[in-house]
Amino acid sequence: MIDWNAMGDEEFRQEVRTFFEQNYPSELRYPPHRLRWAEIKGWYMTLAAKGWLAPTWPTLYGGMGLNPTKFLIFIEEQERWGVARTPDMGMTMVGPLLIKHGTEEQKSYYLPKILRGEHLWCQGYSEPNAGSDLASLKTSAIIDRDEFVINGQKTWTTLAQDATHIFMLVRTDPQAKKKQEGISFLLVDCKSPGITVRPIPNIAGNEEFCEVFFDNVRAPRANIVGELNKGWTIAKAMLGFERITLGSPKQSQYALGRLEILARQRGCFDDPVFLDKFTALQLDVADLVSVYARFVDIVKRGETLGPDVSLLKIWATETYSRISSLMVETAGAAGAIVGKVDFGGEPVDVLSSFYYARPAPIYGGTNEIQRNIIAKEVLGLPS
Amino acid sequence: MNANAMAAAAADRADERRLLKESVAAFVERCGGATRARAMRGRSPGFDRAVWREFADLGWLAVTLPEQYGGLGLSLTEMAVIAEELGGALAPEPVIEAITLAAGVLRHAGGSVADELLPPIAAGEIIPTLAWQESDGNFDPAHVAATATADTTGGIRLNGSKAFVPHADAADGFIVTARDEQGLALYWIPADAPGVEIVLRPLATGAMVGCVSMKQVEVAPTQRIAAGRHAADALHLAIDEATVMASAALVGLIGKALNMTLDYIKVRTQFGKPIGSFQAIQHRAVDLYIQCELAQGALGDALAAHTEAPRSKAAQAATSRAKARCSDVALLICREAVQMHGAIGFTDEYDLGLYLNRALVLAAWLGNSAQHRRRYAAIGNASTQEASA
Repeated sequence: MIDWNAMGDEEFRQEVRTFFEQNYPSELRYPPHRLRWAEIKGWYMTLAAKGWLAPTWPTLYGGMGLNPTKFLIFIEEQERWGVARTPDMGMTMVGPLLIKHGTEEQKSYYLPKILRGEHLWCQGYSEPNAGSDLASLKTSAIIDRDEFVINGQKTWTTLAQDATHIFMLVRTDPQAKKKQEGISFLLVDCKSPGITVRPIPNIAGNEEFCEVFFDNVRAPRANIVGELNKGWTIAKAMLGFERITLGSPKQSQYALGRLEILARQRGCFDDPVFLDKFTALQLDVADLVSVYARFVDIVKRGETLGPDVSLLKIWATETYSRISSLMVETAGAAGAIVGKVDFGGEPVDVLSSFYYARPAPIYGGTNEIQRNIIAKEVLGLPS
Repeated sequence: MNANAMAAAAADRADERRLLKESVAAFVERCGGATRARAMRGRSPGFDRAVWREFADLGWLAVTLPEQYGGLGLSLTEMAVIAEELGGALAPEPVIEAITLAAGVLRHAGGSVADELLPPIAAGEIIPTLAWQESDGNFDPAHVAATATADTTGGIRLNGSKAFVPHADAADGFIVTARDEQGLALYWIPADAPGVEIVLRPLATGAMVGCVSMKQVEVAPTQRIAAGRHAADALHLAIDEATVMASAALVGLIGKALNMTLDYIKVRTQFGKPIGSFQAIQHRAVDLYIQCELAQGALGDALAAHTEAPRSKAAQAATSRAKARCSDVALLICREAVQMHGAIGFTDEYDLGLYLNRALVLAAWLGNSAQHRRRYAAIGNASTQEASA
């Protein structure tokens, strides 16, 4: 067993970088859409064989046991090489959840199957009428002897069509005084009778999220995580790291690089109007990098991120959005062409950044919700 | 030094800066804060020479001055702590203008004029100013039309006109840029030198800025501070450092204006609720807060770049990045602050206008945001060409 944390940061970075460069399929670098299981399975299994699927899990459970500093290096190297996300809900959500709140049976049954690629998890949180106001979710789970009977609908469930299992928030006590009480955390097998998954094509023309219907679906009572009616607390505590990864500047840096290629080929740098817009975006990204570094330092020191981390997500996603808009504008007539367009020998997918900039301010808590959080918890504004 | 010793040294420096920050804040507050800034409007000089001497006694005028001149030999980061606090308190004393900029030129140029002038400047006895820009407002230091020509008696005659000269009404002397056969040259001329004429214009803050015209001003060769490449280097560096300090002053001002606004919207009640409870107001306040954080980040990077390699392209780019961001943010926050305050924010009796006016002056000084974005782009292009050459 290698103790990665004992390794020097630079040595570790080189190790990870070399592995990615030598093993990650080059045709999958910087994919223009979220990869489906059939496309990414090979890489998932490569990571599994290497023992690198679960960087943050303790080694006891088959993870790499990386401390925050090493994990950030791991992420930076993934982003640097344009390594796509795998279906990683099992690693980022279910694993840490079970390690903290699961029973011994749950841990020994589920964790190895995630690491072997047998179980692919999806996240059943949002519902048609519970998005930003997630706690108003209605999908019910009624106890019937030793089972839960689930009825309702989840939506915007990313890659549910590839998932074998879903972890979900369900209402187990409709009479609870506060809507946050009366919610439980359940693990459900997607093969259970009564589950229907319908992919929803998005405006980019891809099927990445789905709606999932539950019609008298039965799940064993043993599949509850944590206590009955305490699911909300658990879900909130799971946010942790997501809040910093959503604020990474890499997406914006990559898009700015593509924009620069495109603009150079078009001779736009001689246009003072373009130059001022481009430079303003360069400065936006440079300032994002420095604010991001400040939060990374907090994580590296092992301290807890405060509510102010929400500013990262807002600034990162909105900067990305502005870059993607300028890319479309700069491409002119080519700004409506789907797929890669050749700009003087450099293929640039103009529209993929534009499309991917749409959901970024929505997922992981909309930017409006992030602003509410800062207003109340950082600036102390009254409600 | 090992890692632990370095961390300990960094913690010590952070402690020292915190103490410095607290002592500057306490002192300027005792001096009168915004009330004093208000009282000084339209006066000539637009600041208090007694307070200036106290700054000198506290060592604030000698922070970055090398020990050989009686200075403390500290870094620009310590000076930024002072600039930020003075900016936040709207202190009218021209510390950045006279010390970082004018005395900075002397310090970087060195030589006999610097040896003679820097100790009394650090002691608060002489207040210099730099006259480098001309009436077209170009902020390229090499853009000089004023001339220095040798006369028949072995002296030098300066001719030309310098614009946007800070505290021209109060300065004891001017460091002027002029063109001679070697290119750029820097001269020291006392304020009362024959042939010097000053026309004052009020700035938005009420302080005076001068147009200094020189007609056959006679100077001795010993008044030449530096010439040629050496003069240009000293000038460039001092201007860049002053630009970073102006950014620091803006960061101080930004924090105060934002907090003032947050305090107001928490208590101003309309429709039976504090207006700060309305989401339309909250989200705008959050956007201002985000900009405030970005400005701090940009300033921090500029200070780090100047610590690492003060004359590098990276430091110049970081300087422009900071000034562009801080100028934009200060004006944005002050405009939004007026809007969120409503009509009271537009009155002269309310302090907010003092912040807005100071933001206007600091944003326009040494290159505004649009000018610094252009400079940032030009530096980037130059370094790309260097890399590909």
